[in-house]
Order: sequence, then structure tokens, then C-alpha cells
Amino acid sequence: MFAIASMNGIVIGVIYALSALGVSLVVGIMNVVNFAHGEFYILAGYFSYLFATALGMNLLAAMTLAVAIVFVFGLLVEYTLIRPTYGDDLYSLILTFILSIVLQNAYLLIFGPYPNKPPGWVRGATDIFGLFMYGNQRLAALVAGTCVIVFVFAMIKLTWFGRIIRATSQDRGMAELNGVNTTRLNMLSFGLGCALAAAAGVILAPVFPVTPTAGVPVALTAFVVVVLGGMGSLRGCIVGGLTLGLVENLGAAYLSTGYKHVFGFIILILVLAIRPSGLFGHKEA
Amino acid sequence: MLEVSNIDVYRGETQVLWDISLEVAAGERVAILGSNGAGKSSLMGAIAGILPPAGGKINFKGETISGRKAYEVTRFGIALVPEGRRVYKEMSVRENLEMGGYVSRKQRRIDQGMEQVFALFPVLRDRRHQAGGTLSGGEQQMLAIGRALMSRPELLLIDELSLGLAPRITKEIYQAISGLELETTVLLVEQNVEMALSHSQRAYIMESGRITRSGRSETLMADDDIRRAYLGL
Repeated sequence: MFAIASMNGIVIGVIYALSALGVSLVVGIMNVVNFAHGEFYILAGYFSYLFATALGMNLLAAMTLAVAIVFVFGLLVEYTLIRPTYGDDLYSLILTFILSIVLQNAYLLIFGPYPNKPPGWVRGATDIFGLFMYGNQRLAALVAGTCVIVFVFAMIKLTWFGRIIRATSQDRGMAELNGVNTTRLNMLSFGLGCALAAAAGVILAPVFPVTPTAGVPVALTAFVVVVLGGMGSLRGCIVGGLTLGLVENLGAAYLSTGYKHVFGFIILILVLAIRPSGLFGHKEA
Repeated sequence: MLEVSNIDVYRGETQVLWDISLEVAAGERVAILGSNGAGKSSLMGAIAGILPPAGGKINFKGETISGRKAYEVTRFGIALVPEGRRVYKEMSVRENLEMGGYVSRKQRRIDQGMEQVFALFPVLRDRRHQAGGTLSGGEQQMLAIGRALMSRPELLLIDELSLGLAPRITKEIYQAISGLELETTVLLVEQNVEMALSHSQRAYIMESGRITRSGRSETLMADDDIRRAYLGL
């Protein structure tokens, strides 16, 4: 039981980390909390379902297109809704909150309240070290999620784009003095944050079908992971995501399934009681 | 090269600079002196594009730069070493310098620039893999100056170089700056009047947001009023 619960925890933890990365990136650079994060996740799930099932597209192409569309949608949202609110974080908070409700209702009107599921990538199950059988689709989700995370970290560490992201989240004014157009960077990173939500969405939709409101718990969990790991810390997202995934699943296995999410919040309260800025957060933040 | 003409600058509702005019010729070393709160840093901010002037004009090499954003001003060839150094604390010394070269983004120019900075401040070479935040105050100031030099500026603005540094370190850094190639024009803001006057050709003196005196540094150094007011002699 320990092995399978841990495995579930790791798979879910990686996806938690992935969706939290998008939130954390946007918080770190723009100091904007995107309350519609979960709805971007769901949007990508719907698109990949639509492209693959209704239009019969190749799975990979459908997923890539879904992520790309959500990225562009994110750019548009930043340009139209977030940019005019610079300097007052409260407005962007309220606006993205409204956006999340608008999107949920739009999904309800268009797709109905029923769960929609894009086709799975793989069938069957694999014997894990003779301990238990594990669904191949979940294993594929684990691999894909890990790949996206590695890709994001490589980009942050090795490219100019990553360098200016780190510089801007440490000292925005100084980055501007070094020649960074921070307005454009805001737009790109908001789009990227949405694309990361979308990546999590297309990876997880074949396992957990999408419904109009399924994004709410996703976003809430992402916020918990971001706070747990430390606001704006990308490393914190990974540690926070895995911690939360493992605690929830081990707690559910050994104590009670009904309290699954409570375990996560208990860990959050404990961490915040000892380190108020989160695992990798800064004292002043 | 740099002409500031009659600028008025506000921080929020409060006017901090009144009708400031000054000129810096190519290759000159010019100091701006004044006590705390005289508006020296605001003037630097106005030139660098952080505090856009409400009135007046700033020209650089014949082009108007007032009203442009800070990232655009940088591309004109102006680099600011800000007050408090503001190195990227969680990035390595190397990465800090690379950020200074962001305007060009050409690897060859960046490698060359980095060699020049390491030649100017050898301690940075030893520390190149260390995070900026782990350096001492003096080393951070060297890093901040090095980062600004990475963009190959024609005009280098240095705000409060000596603030919080030991006199020995301040002297060392001033010596390094004196050794800079002559085509780099330097405009520096200082509270350490003696240091600034001995490392500049001309100086402006600011009091509560206005320029009250200007002249050759040697003349000012010999002036009795200045000696009494700023040097405590």
C-alpha cells in the first residue's frame, strides 16, 4: 500500500508542481495572482478533447495546438485585462477572479456539465518492480510532466529569456536599467504561466476528465503549493508539489480518504508556522 | 554629449528638482555634490529614464532622451550604477555581468567585456561563480560598476559610490574608475566631497533640488565656503 500510495503521490505531485510553476512565475515577475489559472488548465483540456475527438487530429498535434492557443489567449488577457491594472495588485486579483467565473459559465454553456475526456495516449498497465500494477496512462503523465518541468528549468537556467525572468523577479527596476522591456516580459511570462497551466491540463485530462468547474481545485492546489514552496520560488514549486502530492496520498491511504485535502492544509499550516515565507521563500516577501 | 536643460522632476506629488541645467562633454569626469536629500539621486534617475521630467529636456548626443523609458535610454549608451548597488543577489557574479550585456546579447562582446571587467576588478574573477548577495559591500559595488560597463556605455552614471564602504575600498574603486578608457564619460554623485572633487574635472553643487554652484573641481576644492560646508575644514 505504501508503494502505490507513494507512486500516486509522485504522479500527482509532479502535476501539482507543473501547475504551480505557472502561478509562481507570474507572481514572481508581475506580482499578480492569476485566479483564472485553473480555467486555463481546463481550457486546454477541452481543446485537446475537441481537436483529438471531434476533429480527429493526431494526439500530440492536438495537445500542442491546445497549449499554443491557451498561450495566445494568455497574452491577450494580459494585454487587455492585466496591463491596465499595473500598480494596483488588487484590481488584477478581482479581474482574474471574474474571468474565472466567466470562463466556467462559458464552458458550461458550450460543453455542458458532463465530464469530457480526450483519448488516452497509451493502454494497459505496467508491473512496477513486482509490487503493483500501475496504469500506463498515469506513467505517461508522469514522464510528460517531468519533461515539461525539466524543459522549463533548462530554459530558466540557460537562456536569455530565463536570465531576464530571474533578474526581473529579483529587481524589476534594475532589469529595466539593464535594457529589459519589462512590459513585454510581463505579457510573455503571463502567457507562459497560462501555457504551463495548459500543459498540465492536456497531460492530466486523459486521467481526470475535464468539467466546467474542475479547474477550481486545480488552482487552489497550485496556490497552496506556491505558498508552501515560497512565493515566486520555482524550486519551491517542485518541492512543494511533491510534498503535497505525497502527504495527500499517504494520508488518504493510511488515515482516511475523506480527509485527503485536509492533510495538505495541515502541512501548509505547519510549514507556515515555522517558516512564514514558505520552504524557499525570502524573509521580506 | 549630455545636455540637461531646465528640468523639473516630481516624485509623486512632491517636486524634487527645480529648473536643473547641466552639461557634460564627451570624455569628461563630472561630479554632482550635495548633502542627503539635495536631489542628486533624482537627477540621476531623471537622466536614466526612471523619473521622467515634468518640464525641460534632456539631450544625449543630439537626441532627446527625456520621456523615454529606462530600457530605451540604456540602448542609447547610458548606464547607471544605482544607489545601493542593486546587484542581483541570487544570480552569480557571471550572470550579473551577463545581464549588464543584455543590450547587445552577443556572446563575443559579452566575453570580451567580462575580461575587461575582470582586468579592472580582479577579485570578481575569483568570485565569478558566487551569488551576488554573498559578496562584500565593496565587491558588490565593483560588480555593479562592472555590470554597467558590460553594456559599453559612452556615459556612465554612478550614484553614491562610497556609500557604506570603507575608505580604503572607496579609494581602490575610484582608482579603478580613473583607469577607465578616456572615451567613457563619467557623471558621478557623491556625498564624499573630497573624493569626488579629486577624481573629477568639474562639479555641480546641489541644495534642496537646485543647482547652486558649479565650477572646476580644483577651484571648488580651494574655495573656503565649500571647505567649511562640506569638508569640515
